[in-house]
This record gives sequence, C-alpha cells and structure tokens, in this order.
Amino acid sequence: MKTAERPQNLATAVREALVVAMEADADVCVLGTDVGEFGGVFRVTSGLLERFGKERVIDMPLDPAGVVGTAIGMALYGLRPVAELTFADHAYGAFEQLTSELARVRYRSNGQLACPVVVRMAAGAGGGGGIHHSAHPEAHFVHTPGLVVVCPSTPADAKGLMLSALRGEDPVVFLEPQALYRRSGGDAPEGDAGVPLGVAREVRAGSDLTIVTWGAMVRVCEDAAAKAAADGVECCVIDPRTLWPLDLDAIAASVAETGRCLIVHEAPRSGGLGAEITALVQERCFLHLEAPVTRVTGFDTPVPAALEDAYVPSVARVLAAIDGIMSF
Amino acid sequence: MATMTFREALNQALDEEMARDPKVFLMGEEVGQYQGAYKVSQGLLDKYGGDRVVDTPITELSFAGVGVGAAMVGLRPVIEMMTFNFAILALDQIYNNAAKMRLMSGGQYKVPITFRGPNGPAHMLSAQHSQATESWFANVPGLKVVSPATPNDGKGLLKAAIRDDDPVIFLEAELMYNMKGEVSDEADYVLPLGKAHVAREGKDVTVITFSKGYHHAMGAAEALAKDGVEVEVIDLRTIRPLDMETIARSVRKTHRVVTVEEGWPYGGIGAELAYCISHDLFDQLDAPVTRVTGLDVPMPYAENLEHLVLPAPRDVIAAINAVRYRS
Repeated sequence: MKTAERPQNLATAVREALVVAMEADADVCVLGTDVGEFGGVFRVTSGLLERFGKERVIDMPLDPAGVVGTAIGMALYGLRPVAELTFADHAYGAFEQLTSELARVRYRSNGQLACPVVVRMAAGAGGGGGIHHSAHPEAHFVHTPGLVVVCPSTPADAKGLMLSALRGEDPVVFLEPQALYRRSGGDAPEGDAGVPLGVAREVRAGSDLTIVTWGAMVRVCEDAAAKAAADGVECCVIDPRTLWPLDLDAIAASVAETGRCLIVHEAPRSGGLGAEITALVQERCFLHLEAPVTRVTGFDTPVPAALEDAYVPSVARVLAAIDGIMSF
Repeated sequence: MATMTFREALNQALDEEMARDPKVFLMGEEVGQYQGAYKVSQGLLDKYGGDRVVDTPITELSFAGVGVGAAMVGLRPVIEMMTFNFAILALDQIYNNAAKMRLMSGGQYKVPITFRGPNGPAHMLSAQHSQATESWFANVPGLKVVSPATPNDGKGLLKAAIRDDDPVIFLEAELMYNMKGEVSDEADYVLPLGKAHVAREGKDVTVITFSKGYHHAMGAAEALAKDGVEVEVIDLRTIRPLDMETIARSVRKTHRVVTVEEGWPYGGIGAELAYCISHDLFDQLDAPVTRVTGLDVPMPYAENLEHLVLPAPRDVIAAINAVRYRS
C-alpha cells in the first residue's frame, strides 16, 4: 500500500487490523449485527464479507447476548471470534454473557479452556446518538476479573492493540471511541504492527502535572496541554491505552516527578475509572502529592443528545482543572 | 425493640408498605406460592392475593421490564431478584430504561421501583452465584444503591426505598438473612436514604463500610479497643449517593481512613471513597486512604479458598495498623 492510502482514522485502522489478522489466521472470524452485508454500523467491517466469505463474516440478529454467547462457543472450539456489539449501550443486554460466562471460562475450567474472544463496541458520545447510543462503560468491565479492557486513542494504537488482542488467550473488551471513527489521527503503520497490551503511551512529556486520559479525551488533553504550555505549565499526558491491566508504573513514575495528577474521562463521574486511578495514585504516591488528584469527567447523567458538547469534557474544563491544581 | 432476623425485618417492611399503599406490589421468581426463595415474602400472597404478589417465570429481563412499565404508569413495584447474580441478566432494563427514563422523558415519567434481593458472597456457590454486584450499579447515573448491615436498617431502609420516586437497588447480604438483631418497634420506622450512620465513635481511624463489611469492621474495632486504639466505624447504608458530610466530619477528626467491602478491588466502592476523601480532604489526611476488599478473582467454590479471597476482621486490623504506620 502507498503511504497516501494508510488508514488515518479509527474505523479504517481497526479494519486493517482485522484484515491482517484474518489473512494470517484462518481461525479469526467476525460476527455481529450488520457486520457483513452492511459492512458494520460504522463501516469498520466494510469489504470483509466479500473478501473472506460468509463462513468468517457472520451477520447476526439484533441480540447482543446471542452474539457474545455464540462467540464464546466458537472460541471454545478453537476459533478466534471478533464479536461486534455496535453501540456500547447494547453491551448491557449481553452483560451476563460477558461477565458470568466469557470472563469466567478460564477460571471455571481450571485453566483447561481459554476463551480468546475480542468484543468490539462503539463507546462514548460523538454522533449525537443520545441516551441509548453514547455509553462509555469501562467502569463495569474493568471491575470484572477476567476481562482485559482496551480503549485506543489513535489509528496506530487501534490497529496495534487489536492485533495484540487477537493474539492473546483471554477475552478483550475493545472500546472504540465513537468520536474518533471518522476523525483523522495520523497514519497507522503498515503490516503487522502490534502494540502490547498493558503498556501506557506517553503522549506528551512534561514535569509540572500528569494528565491521565484515554480514548477521545486524549486529543482534548493534548490541546489543553498545548495551551497550558503557553502559560508556562508543562503537562505530561499519559494514555494508558489498556484500562485493565493498568500500567500504574508509568503513571506513578510521572506523578512522582510532577507531584500533581489530573484524570480526564468521558464516562460519568461517580464510580468511574478516575476513582480507581486516584485510589492507586494516592496509595502509591502519597508523599509526592502537592495537590489533590482531580478528575474531569462526563456528568452523572446519561449522555443528552442535544447537550453532548456540554457533557463531554472540553479543553476549557481541562484547563480550569489544571489551573485549580497548579494554584492549590 | 423486638429481636428478629434480617428476613423477618424485611418481611415486616414489605408487609407494612403493602398495607399502607395499594400501589405497592411484589413480583419475582417464587415470591408467591413458594413464599420466597429466602422466605422474605412469607405470608404475603395469602394476605394480599395474587394481583399484588406475582410469581413470574425465570426471565429476569422481562419481569424487570414489566416492573419499569408498571412504575411508569403509577404503581410502586418491588422486584425481587432471586439473587443479584441473576439481576445482571436484567441490566439492560435496569440501566437503559429504569435509570434513564426520568431524564429521557424530561421529567414527565418517574420510575419508583425497588429491585431487591440477596447480593454478595454466599457460601460455596462459586464464580457465578457468589458475586458482590454493588459496583456495577454504583456508577450508574439515575440509580440509588442501598445495602443495609443490620435487620433494623434493613427494615427502615427498605420502607424508604419503596417510597422513593427513583429506582433503588436494594442489596441484601445473602449470608445475613438469619442474622438476628433488635428492630425498632416504632409504628412507621423509616430511615432516610443517602444518610450514613456512625455506628461506633472513635478518634484514631475512620473505617467506612456497608453490609457484611460492617461486621468485619466492628469486630476489628472491638479487638483494637483492647489495645487502646479508638476506631470510628461509619456504615454507609446508602452506597449511592454517598453521604460525604458524615464522612468528612469523621475524617477531620481521625485523619486516617480504611474502607471495607467484600467486592473486587479494581473500581470498587472504596475507589470512589478514596477519590472523594483524598480530593475534598487532602490536607486532613495523614495516610493514604487504604482499601480492604475481596481479591481480584472470581469466587472459588472451595471453602478454604473462599476464606482466602474474602476480607476478615484480621485484614481490617492490618489496614488500620498500616494507616497508623504501625506493623
């Protein structure tokens, strides 16, 4: 492929990862609502049916529990299914399959069975989808032992993390930020360029304050960090990329240097992943902290369609939090 | 005060609320003819009839949805989940409909529904029937989450949950139904939601807990009192919303906090407490907020492994020593 044709958004990057994996391994297959003939609600699986046939690209009824349950069965027979649940809100219809079955197979079989299913879903606001099509549910999945949870912020990471997810032996919940599907975010590298699970990426170096953020909020925090730098505040921006297991070492090393930590996520505030990261940071870095760990998040409401822009953390809200921490 | 079991106290609450308000009804698997899988609904079918004590098929998603609909048209359903391990089959209705409906309708609908039943580690029921589900509910906007620690609180809080105009997740500890305690004999005993209870006063360390964790905390506090350590125990009673006022008052006194819960650590209730306390009371803390939780694994079946996974008073004592920088 020529450079000009490299995937530059999340939808095309995930698609390329699926193509690479499906060409390399005949056991990799895709199933879900509208993944085949329609090419996926967000066109992520566009062209896969024509290329790999209906034995490996399987249209399913609108039944999230059925999609995940079928994928579990396929994995137990040695396949590597990628189950698409379209919007993350629909994952609640599959929650029992995801938590009580998928996440438990290895444990319940005393390690005799593995269940390498990748469950993809569109997470968060960005499409004006409103109350039932904008959930960012990482808090529920990271709390569940047995699930790896991934949330990429760039095309390169989306491709690389998907390739790694498809080669692991455990189930992975793969949250694809809806706002990034069509947004240009730099080229994904060619070929088989895996990104390891459980390793954070330093998006920007800085010694005054550590910002921990993921998914669509990485871009917002990069913009805020650039503005803060103009005022002389150098922020280190860390994208954990994998939300469980968390690369706490990378976060703690930065906080030990900066003494200040801000966590930014799109999901609702109370009980969100920001709370867990705070708990870990204040346990690990208590004597380093110059100011309270602070979070900027979505609000404690469902995502309103009309007020989406007000709901999702903005550059202005992040800058206000940076000010608050620096002037503490 | 009368002494009774947890299940009797909950039964009294249901009975009193059904007698008080004809809109209250109970629905779930085995709640009627079988008198409840855990006998919480004992006698209610005979007293109130089949229209108000409704046996359902084994279909959590559908009867949760019927309950949401009933609440939207003005009834006050109490939906019994035979255990909250099965409620996860109904999460689509609980999260996407019950919790969102008030906002989605611009306040035109309210959903005064109570989902109740046993929650948390049971005894030798393994990975799928012995889970603490509170954290899966406690970060959902639109839900209130209640988890009583004593029969008295069970009665007072269940009555409040049924009267509340928003959906309430009411989590009863599976292993505490037989636990006896004194229960208020006030004619209409209602405890407010969203208010924590200082169960034991002390000046050295604050232990924040709920449900079965409360008993571990009280055990630890009693043991440490013999060494002159005065532990303050706060029983949250309501997990969402958190009563930060009561917590802050205590932390300003003790400057040290231990949280105790039986659920998984990563993203548990202790995490939110750690955020709120370390953020709001940063200058008050002399030690990091320290969490005592179950281990981050599915619940094993074997009894000896269960003991290893679940927190016990000795773990609470170790954490209290840690925040006091004692070994």
